[in-house]
Amino acid sequence: MNKYLSIIFLILISVVFITIQTTLLSPKNLGYYYPDLNLILIVYLGIYSEIRGGFFLALGNGYLMDVLSGNLPGIFTLSRLSAYFLVRSGSNHVYLRRVLVQGLVIFLATIFTWIFIITIITIKKGDIADMTVKAVLIQAMVNALVGIPIFWMINRVNARFQK
Amino acid sequence: MKFLKNRAVLITILLFFVAIQLYSLNIREKKSQNFIAGLVLTVTYYPQKFIYLISDKVMNSWQDYMDLVNVRQENIKLKEDIRKLRIEKFELAEAGIQNKRLKKLLDFKEIPSSPIVSANVIGGSPSLLRLEVIIVDRGSSDGISRGMPVASLDGIVGKVLTVGESSSEILLLTDPVSAIDAFVHRTRVRGIVKGSGEGCTMEYIEQNSDISVGDKIISSGKEGFFPKGVIIGTVTEIETKGSFLSAKVSPLVDLDSLEEVVIILKSNNIVLNE
Repeated sequence: MNKYLSIIFLILISVVFITIQTTLLSPKNLGYYYPDLNLILIVYLGIYSEIRGGFFLALGNGYLMDVLSGNLPGIFTLSRLSAYFLVRSGSNHVYLRRVLVQGLVIFLATIFTWIFIITIITIKKGDIADMTVKAVLIQAMVNALVGIPIFWMINRVNARFQK
Repeated sequence: MKFLKNRAVLITILLFFVAIQLYSLNIREKKSQNFIAGLVLTVTYYPQKFIYLISDKVMNSWQDYMDLVNVRQENIKLKEDIRKLRIEKFELAEAGIQNKRLKKLLDFKEIPSSPIVSANVIGGSPSLLRLEVIIVDRGSSDGISRGMPVASLDGIVGKVLTVGESSSEILLLTDPVSAIDAFVHRTRVRGIVKGSGEGCTMEYIEQNSDISVGDKIISSGKEGFFPKGVIIGTVTEIETKGSFLSAKVSPLVDLDSLEEVVIILKSNNIVLNE
């Protein structure tokens, strides 16, 4: 029962995070300094999620980004799914539950996903908008700073479902 | 090559190649929208609308307070504006009567103007990759369908990209994918207005055409998509690009602070009687 509650909670969090990211914290208003809550949640799933549904949640979250960013062709879905697999694989080999390490993982995951996306668009001679090294680094830094308290918050709420 | 034995690395490489293929397929214009995309918009509509209502209330309260501060001076200015508008209204009425008479003389047939639906902007793109997307609180239940033109009081905004039951995504005219057949209002010189991220550029203008900085650009209605004569923007810079001229166009609509838009349910045109 607790497992199902946990899944429902994570689905709800996914919808809440993407809603906040498209309204109050939209990059349209904040520029480079917006926190990518969707990516932070995917890194959380990679580190903490014990449930098998973690893969589907990561997939769904990536798809939400694709649709709401102008119906992109799976570029966020696949980059975020890759980030999920890498973090998940890393968490099997390294202890990722220390605060500073988590900040570093979010930082690296942000850089990884942007390299993934920019490489594809560059290969296909598409438009990478305003994405520069500076923009990616600022984004990674903001995500790491915002991600740590979010991890703490999700853990606190999620722990209630485990009781 | 030990790292290649890692399952996650292999999956990542595989996903990378799948992403390249999907991106290639998408470059060829998609004619239809998939069902799940509409479902995503429908699911996210209610929380987005909720946040919009709350933030709108807060902003309105603050605005009401700010308005009170300069109400006296504003009142004087508004009275002056009303006086000017009354004169303008009289002149327009005169021009309207004359216009009708001339159309009759030239045997013009006028198709009645299209119905419009007004919509509130409730969200924007969640990613830096494609900022030229906004979300509005009207969807298929209001008669909206993919590709419909969107405008505001100041001019063209973009077109409907994805439709959910109660909300839709609008692709702004500044998006690199966007292209509108247009002409210079003053001289009727034609070109294609394309999005360039921050603004627009009018391309394929013939050399030696009469175009200058400050000219207004309006839609031609030739592609049968946008109604004819809707303003797009103002020319800010002109340069030679190969055998054509290219003009930078600054959109008249402030696309960064859009609050309300109108969706045109069908294009309206003025056509000559056969």
